[in-house]
Amino acid sequence: MAVNGSGDGHKRLPVYDESELTYEHPLYGAMLSVPGLSVGVTSIDAILNWGVMNSLWVFPMATSCCGIELMAAAASRVDLDRMGTIVRATPRQAEVMVIAGTITVKMAPRVKALWDQMPEPKWAIAMGSCAISGDFYRNLYAVVPGIDTVLPVDVYVPGCPPNPEALMHGLLRLKEKVALRRAGKLPPRDDRPDRLQVTKPSVARFLDPARDPAIDEQQVESALHATDTDRSDEPAAGEERASAEPPEPIASSQPSDLEALLRDEFGVAETAPKDGAPVVAVERHVALARRLRGMGYEIFTYVVATHFPEKTGKAPAPERFELAYAVRSVGKGSKVASWRLKLAPGEAAPSLVGVYAGADWQEREQWDLVGVRFAGHPDLRRIMMPENWDGHPLRKDYPADKACPPWR
Amino acid sequence: MNATSAIIHGAVYGTIICVVILTGIAVAIWFERKFAGRMQSRLGPTMTGPVGLLQPFADVVKLLQKEDIVPRDADRGLFDLAPPLAAIASLGAAAVVPWSPKIIAADLDVGVVFVLAIGGLMVVPTFMAGWASNNKFALIGAMRAVAQSVSYGVPLVLATMVPVVLAGSLSVSGIVGWQAQHHWFALWPIIPGLPAFLLYYLAMLAESNRIPFDIPEAESELVAGITTEYTGAKFTLFYMAEYVHTMVGSAVASALFFGGWDGPFRPGLHWMVLKTLLIFASVYWVRWSLVRFRSDQLMALCWKRLTPIGLGLVFVAAAFVQFWPGGAR
Amino acid sequence: MEMSARVERAVMTMNEPQVVTVQYQSAVRGNVDPHLSIRHYDPEADMMLLHFGPQHPSTHGVFRMDLHLDGEIVVKATPYVGYLHRAVEKLCEKLSYVQQTPIVDKNDYVAPMTNEQALNMAFEKLLNVEVPRRARWMRTLFAELQRIASHLLALGTFSIDLGGALGGGSTLFIHTFRERELILDLFEEVTGMRFHYNTHTIGGQRHDLPAGFDKKVHAALDIIESRIPEYAKMTVDNAIFKDRTVGVGVLDGKLALELGITGPILRASGVDHDLRRDAPYSAYDELVPRVRVETAGDCYARTRVRFDEVTDSIALCRKAIDGMPEGPINGYKPIRQPTMAKATSGQVYVGIETPRGELGTFVVAGGDTPTSPHRLKIRSPSLHALAAIPYIMPGATVSDAVAILGSLDPIMGEVDR
Repeated sequence: MAVNGSGDGHKRLPVYDESELTYEHPLYGAMLSVPGLSVGVTSIDAILNWGVMNSLWVFPMATSCCGIELMAAAASRVDLDRMGTIVRATPRQAEVMVIAGTITVKMAPRVKALWDQMPEPKWAIAMGSCAISGDFYRNLYAVVPGIDTVLPVDVYVPGCPPNPEALMHGLLRLKEKVALRRAGKLPPRDDRPDRLQVTKPSVARFLDPARDPAIDEQQVESALHATDTDRSDEPAAGEERASAEPPEPIASSQPSDLEALLRDEFGVAETAPKDGAPVVAVERHVALARRLRGMGYEIFTYVVATHFPEKTGKAPAPERFELAYAVRSVGKGSKVASWRLKLAPGEAAPSLVGVYAGADWQEREQWDLVGVRFAGHPDLRRIMMPENWDGHPLRKDYPADKACPPWR
Repeated sequence: MNATSAIIHGAVYGTIICVVILTGIAVAIWFERKFAGRMQSRLGPTMTGPVGLLQPFADVVKLLQKEDIVPRDADRGLFDLAPPLAAIASLGAAAVVPWSPKIIAADLDVGVVFVLAIGGLMVVPTFMAGWASNNKFALIGAMRAVAQSVSYGVPLVLATMVPVVLAGSLSVSGIVGWQAQHHWFALWPIIPGLPAFLLYYLAMLAESNRIPFDIPEAESELVAGITTEYTGAKFTLFYMAEYVHTMVGSAVASALFFGGWDGPFRPGLHWMVLKTLLIFASVYWVRWSLVRFRSDQLMALCWKRLTPIGLGLVFVAAAFVQFWPGGAR
Repeated sequence: MEMSARVERAVMTMNEPQVVTVQYQSAVRGNVDPHLSIRHYDPEADMMLLHFGPQHPSTHGVFRMDLHLDGEIVVKATPYVGYLHRAVEKLCEKLSYVQQTPIVDKNDYVAPMTNEQALNMAFEKLLNVEVPRRARWMRTLFAELQRIASHLLALGTFSIDLGGALGGGSTLFIHTFRERELILDLFEEVTGMRFHYNTHTIGGQRHDLPAGFDKKVHAALDIIESRIPEYAKMTVDNAIFKDRTVGVGVLDGKLALELGITGPILRASGVDHDLRRDAPYSAYDELVPRVRVETAGDCYARTRVRFDEVTDSIALCRKAIDGMPEGPINGYKPIRQPTMAKATSGQVYVGIETPRGELGTFVVAGGDTPTSPHRLKIRSPSLHALAAIPYIMPGATVSDAVAILGSLDPIMGEVDR
């Protein structure tokens, strides 16, 4: 368990100016100003601190695996309620934000907004390696390398995921930290007593003096408009989305041999190529899907786009995209029927939404991540990445560790 | 008793009763957390004070210190007014509850009407809070709360009418006194006494927003319902008002249906407290066992089942008074 | 019904003369157009837009729905995913075949065992590796134990959705978690981890079963089985629970098939389809599971299927541990270095039945490095399940929306990858 902070003279950023953050209830100031009362302030202070220490309510910022362990910590084996910790669903009534799980660039502005909504005094616990440093997703385009680039973290609970017991331990360490909150003269977050094993934050980026202040402004800006970035129900100006064509009824037909069907009806020369599924002509592809659905292949299984970058040298090959489709039959002896399309760069594949409703999201995903267009898709917009994202990350020429200001 | 002495009597007992109830609420919160813990094979609070007894006090001390956030677009006046109003409305009903033959803040002749009226007032701060927060979850919670309180007011009134008809008095202490002389209404007449109690109990759960009727603050749906935007001290007032409402509701139930301070061996305060706490505990027993209804199912249950039953019970009570030998006054 | 009429009014389109009908409780494809913009809905309906998520107590992670409400009735629901997009597929392209197992563990973090299994089975098919019989039986045992744990968690979180974290829901939740811990303890004994086990490798298993494991499995299963009637009382046999779930969120079997929904949700919609029986893998050709099918397609049927599958899996686990064959647990050469598994060409797909449905791995081998895939796609059942939301949400109330989402049991790590 490590506690954040060090006194090595980093320049403070305006976003988290500690002098502003150290919240003091107006009553507290009033009590200090009354001469007679100031004698009793120490004991009153002890009582006030005791109250905070023993009633740390948690706001679960649970995104992934660690969230399950957070739930397990509230369950009967560990029972956070023993130390008076209950889980509140609203940030307005919690002291401790437990960031449990990976924070992505799409989620980070929301986390920041929720953190800003929590009333002082408040603390943050980074639970698990992803929240601490990004873990093995650290150097990937989509993930924030540690939540301490977004908000000040007080206690780090390492593990992947940490045991529920470890979270309990983290909360107990936080309790120690709270106890020292008002020791002496309201210590700033930096002046941490040695006995709490002061370590540096795992990611110094946030405190880096070389960091461009414009990035911080962007951070604040995006936190203020957390949910506006991808309200994509409305089409962009000037672009009217094609409405979905009503699905034509699909004639059911007797199941026949797949290879024979491909060879005889769809003119596929090679029905079982070595390097994958048979390749179907782009214009015959929707007809094939209709035919297959009529034959009992009713489950839409997947569509995968693959980017083959241009190759020079011994075996030169132009840049192209390949789409692999698969559908599955229902019931006993379930089989997968798969086929491929080969596309030139910029060429659109006919959409299967009219045949299988499940193709909707799958094609959106391939458009988002690989950048293959689907002609006739009623709602082709990004699904995984934020709407304003630049580029298609699963292309081979896209760097895996691409920076996304302000979050990485 | 002249006016001045009545005022002094009311002020003194009122203060004592308020203090005792509020302290009792703290213990009740501790009790509920321990009780829920045991139901869930957990321990509940153990670290704060002996067996965690000081936990509610720590919570209150902490909540009072929290930063007071008022959303920018909130209706400031209503937002600030709602929590104290909720606390007043929930505590007000305790004024006419006879804790013993002597301990009663104000022995009104129309005590039952007073209890119902003040209890019904709870809906006002609830809706104020939901509306003023300018939060959609809070607004939905407030809409649900109003629909629920207004609807369940009807079976609540009908259920309380049964002891009123049987005892022929609108004064709570009068009803208790009548029960002490004759028999408890939940024991005799079994019909309509016991069904009326059950009806009252269900309506009370709904009025005080307890599971299975806690849809106004259904936290799995509406985050925290009407209190979503409330922090610190204001949240504390709402939090306590809820418990006080349940506690006073239990006290009224034990007065109206279980003979209040009357009991075998030595009648007195202890019987009233014991009965109140038992009913209070049962509310939490129900709370930690059931899932909640949906709002339209709640309305259907109220208007299609409970209200006709309540009407029927009032008629049965009237018939009992009229025709049962010795039932008539 | 009055509610139904209000929804009908709200979705009256401006452009077209006829009324687009949204049935109150069910909506098959054709009645609901998920792509119809809210601008085309009745402008006088005075609807409210409720942002539900991405951080909400019952979105099961970070998932967002934009609910357009008329009163409390959902008129249009637009789901948004991607808040947990961690670029797993890109990472897998960077790592070698033997390094990827711990990565996919984190996808479906409620059932990591089956993630590992799906990935490694695809690699085995790609590299033509035969898995020894004991390893296949162990995989079956782990998958079924994982199914029990996953369904218990689904049951618990679903009851929290219905009953709240401060109420009866949490009581059941904590009880199911208590039993889930027993299974995690078993896994911890084998692999050393509570979850994220990293125990499947190409060709078999990394860790053999410890001595006396069968007794512990039996003991844990006995305890879980003895507590099932208790759960039944609080859920599937409970009157309020039934009120909240019967007839809510009806998903048509045909639409479910078309959307690619598999697993318990599909079986609850009356389609008899289970890859364990229909396309057997591992040891399911010898340990044939019983397939539970419900016809209603509502939240209750989905819960019922999961509930009954717990009982079935307990029986299956008992058979698997009793008949566990002896022999080697890995049919591939021992792993010495990360780059030892090589494939120059080929595309394979393997799908298995996880607690949530068909989890598949599609691998394109070759590319620049023979030791890592050129493209790896994980077909996640939860993504397909969430695609049903625009079709089944309209007509439900906000309370129902929570119940429907809970009964779909999505795991966002798997949805977004």
